[in-house]
Amino acid sequence: MWKIIKKYALPLSICLILLLTVIPGCGDEEEEPAVTVPVVTEPEVTEPEVTEPELAPGQPDDYYTRENIVIGGSRPLTGANSIWEEVGFGPIYKMWIEQVNADGGLYIEEYGRKLPIVYKDYIYDDTSDIATMTRQLERLMTVDKVDFCLPPASTASLFAAAPIFNKYEYILLGAEGGATTIMDMLPALPYFFGTLNYSDRYQIPVFADLCLELGIEEVAMIWIQDLHGIEYSGVAGVEFANAGVEVVMSKSVPPDVSDVSLLLLEAQDSGADALCMFAYPDQNFLIIGTMIGMGINFDAILVGPGGNIAAMPGIFGPNIEGLMFEGAWNTKSAPGAQEFYDLFTSYYDPGIGDWWGHILYWGGLQFFEQAIVEAGTLDQSVIRDLMATKTYDTVLGPTWFDIFGDGGGLLAIECHAGEIGQWQSGVPEVIDPPNIYGAKRTAPPIYPKPDWPVAE
Amino acid sequence: MDITTFTSNKRFQIWGISLLVVLAALATLPQWVGSYYVVLLTFILMYILITVSWTIFSGPTGYMSLASAAFFGVGVYTSAILFPMTGAVLPLPLIIVIAGIISFILGLLVGALTLRLKGIYFAIFTFGLVLLIQRFLLWFEMNITATRGRFVATLDNNYIYYVMLVIFVATLLTAYFIRRSRFGLALQSIGENEEAAAHIGINVTLVKVIIFAISAVFMGAAGAIMASKLIYIDPYIAFNPLLSFMPVLMAIFGGLGQFYGPIIGAAVFAYLQEFLKTEFPFAYMFTFGLVLVMVMVFMPSGLVGMIQRLLASLKEGPQEKSTPSWTLIFSFLFGILGGLVSWFIFRERRGARVHLKVGGVVTIIVIAFYLILLLLAYLGELRSGYFGI
Repeated sequence: MWKIIKKYALPLSICLILLLTVIPGCGDEEEEPAVTVPVVTEPEVTEPEVTEPELAPGQPDDYYTRENIVIGGSRPLTGANSIWEEVGFGPIYKMWIEQVNADGGLYIEEYGRKLPIVYKDYIYDDTSDIATMTRQLERLMTVDKVDFCLPPASTASLFAAAPIFNKYEYILLGAEGGATTIMDMLPALPYFFGTLNYSDRYQIPVFADLCLELGIEEVAMIWIQDLHGIEYSGVAGVEFANAGVEVVMSKSVPPDVSDVSLLLLEAQDSGADALCMFAYPDQNFLIIGTMIGMGINFDAILVGPGGNIAAMPGIFGPNIEGLMFEGAWNTKSAPGAQEFYDLFTSYYDPGIGDWWGHILYWGGLQFFEQAIVEAGTLDQSVIRDLMATKTYDTVLGPTWFDIFGDGGGLLAIECHAGEIGQWQSGVPEVIDPPNIYGAKRTAPPIYPKPDWPVAE
Repeated sequence: MDITTFTSNKRFQIWGISLLVVLAALATLPQWVGSYYVVLLTFILMYILITVSWTIFSGPTGYMSLASAAFFGVGVYTSAILFPMTGAVLPLPLIIVIAGIISFILGLLVGALTLRLKGIYFAIFTFGLVLLIQRFLLWFEMNITATRGRFVATLDNNYIYYVMLVIFVATLLTAYFIRRSRFGLALQSIGENEEAAAHIGINVTLVKVIIFAISAVFMGAAGAIMASKLIYIDPYIAFNPLLSFMPVLMAIFGGLGQFYGPIIGAAVFAYLQEFLKTEFPFAYMFTFGLVLVMVMVFMPSGLVGMIQRLLASLKEGPQEKSTPSWTLIFSFLFGILGGLVSWFIFRERRGARVHLKVGGVVTIIVIAFYLILLLLAYLGELRSGYFGI
């Protein structure tokens, strides 16, 4: 055996040492400054050491050495939440960075130049695990010392991340996730700025108003046994009661539910006018598929997450006609929506579109960008103060955050591009009742929902 | 003087002094490393103590307990209820003790109910316990408290680290003394032949239940302090089934034969995970899976067993001509070490991102080189009939 080791290990080790010696040299050669540093005085030939120019008052310490802005993030590249990196905030932040860099970067006044954004090496995989995510955030903020940090995905992750962002005074521009619970904490989280709309902000109140408008009197609810289901069913219970709509059935399902036929029969027997699915895509698609198969229909069907994805027509074909969904926006429901959609589809396959969050994430990033540029510094506290007080024009129109006490904020309801959508002729339409928070309706609702075409 | 006693004492002294040095280093660590490394080490200590706790019972008896996540989750929920963000109900040390006691009681109950089961039945039951508590709490939170997850009060990273260190030391001491005690011998004999152990007068059920419950204490205590690091918890987060399998993998990875096997296994395993997740996010699962498979195939006695046998080989030459092949192990270990060393070399210069890429390339080349070495050595051994085939 030792002969074999000597025979192979020794020559290979020598090769390896040589390789290790050579490759770093190549690395050094590659490490030429990518951005030329302005106004660097040539050192005198006789001067033995290179001296850096003096910093003018107000110039940051790294004025001459900074080449870029580093953005990091702990994102679910793998695991149960990886879908959000694929079709949620993932494509949006990448597109935003590419757009910024195509323009030469962000102009930061205290550096007197545009700084491009680098991010790829600082996006870590949290494997959809909250403990991993919290560790990686600490690493990004204390070891890598990134300039800005992207939000993690999912409501639970956002909740766990918010105190860490706050502790290290990093701005948390929330993307995928949001729940009523966060509102109680916001006064103590001045660096949190949530962009996504959710249950009582302001989807379910709008749906309750829609029920009044359409004459829906009785509702059945199927909800998932987790934070999302508890949240939405709880808010719905309150809002429906306020609107005089009776909940005739409220049943929960586990995340790994595989058969909902009995539940649907019960919902049908309850005589409900509308069915609400407060669950995730896996369960919602199962429910829709079972309803189509069994020919069970309601006058109105509200689909939770999943009902908003652009792939819906591809998945269910003509069956989506009349399905309502939480979201919601389309190319007509916000001033820059068409422009954003055109840009998005120039980058990506339209099939990965999201008629709920994409436009809000994009508007949030545009807002963030303007705050950074106006601040003229990378100091998070200065940028934070601007975000808390300013209104900027974005794809959503005039955009601002509602601030809770002296703390963080949530995107103002008036800035949302819609709350409830409906698939009409394969196109998502916003059907919020008129005269509610800026009249976002782009088409009158179809009511009652037509029968399933396949079942006819 | 009895030479055996003398050697034993000397060894004990060396081990004792070494452990004190390590402990002193760990105790002063927050003074000379950054916040992230304190957090990372806290998690590594957590994994080690859960693995060691698991090994206290499952190591000698061979009973595969998958209840670790249940005990840890009980600790997490104890903290979530008694140490919420809105204000602590009790002092934290008391909460940690309560979490340990609740886990102990749960361990007693479960042990009394299930330790008459053996093999796969015991494993399935203990795993079922994790899901049972998780689903029960979910139902309870939804229908009784109408809680949408719970926020736990945050604590300073150093504070969490020191508390974890105390629990860690307590776990190691307990594991060590149980192993050296009559209970340890009883567990060993139960693991070798339970019927024979009963025939020689060991109260098999009592020993198993007591040790099972003791092993649960530390997992519960760890969960209680780690809740402050998780910040937001719900039943899915607190009772994460993955935590039931991790200690089993980590213990096997390190080697169950020696007391320090699971410690080394958990430390290396936990760090390897973190390293791969941050440096090679897209290759993480592939690389991690590859490492696990190779360890199971080529190092059935774990890292520690392999090192011991390698040292023995260096002293006295190969002891046997059967698998595992030392050339393969040597090559594999060297490949990993080479990769890690090269990563460390280049990591120091991470400020310039280009170096990280170069470092990554070098790491891959190093591992590739030693995989070639492995292959060549393997073929050479096949030719020489070293495997005896």
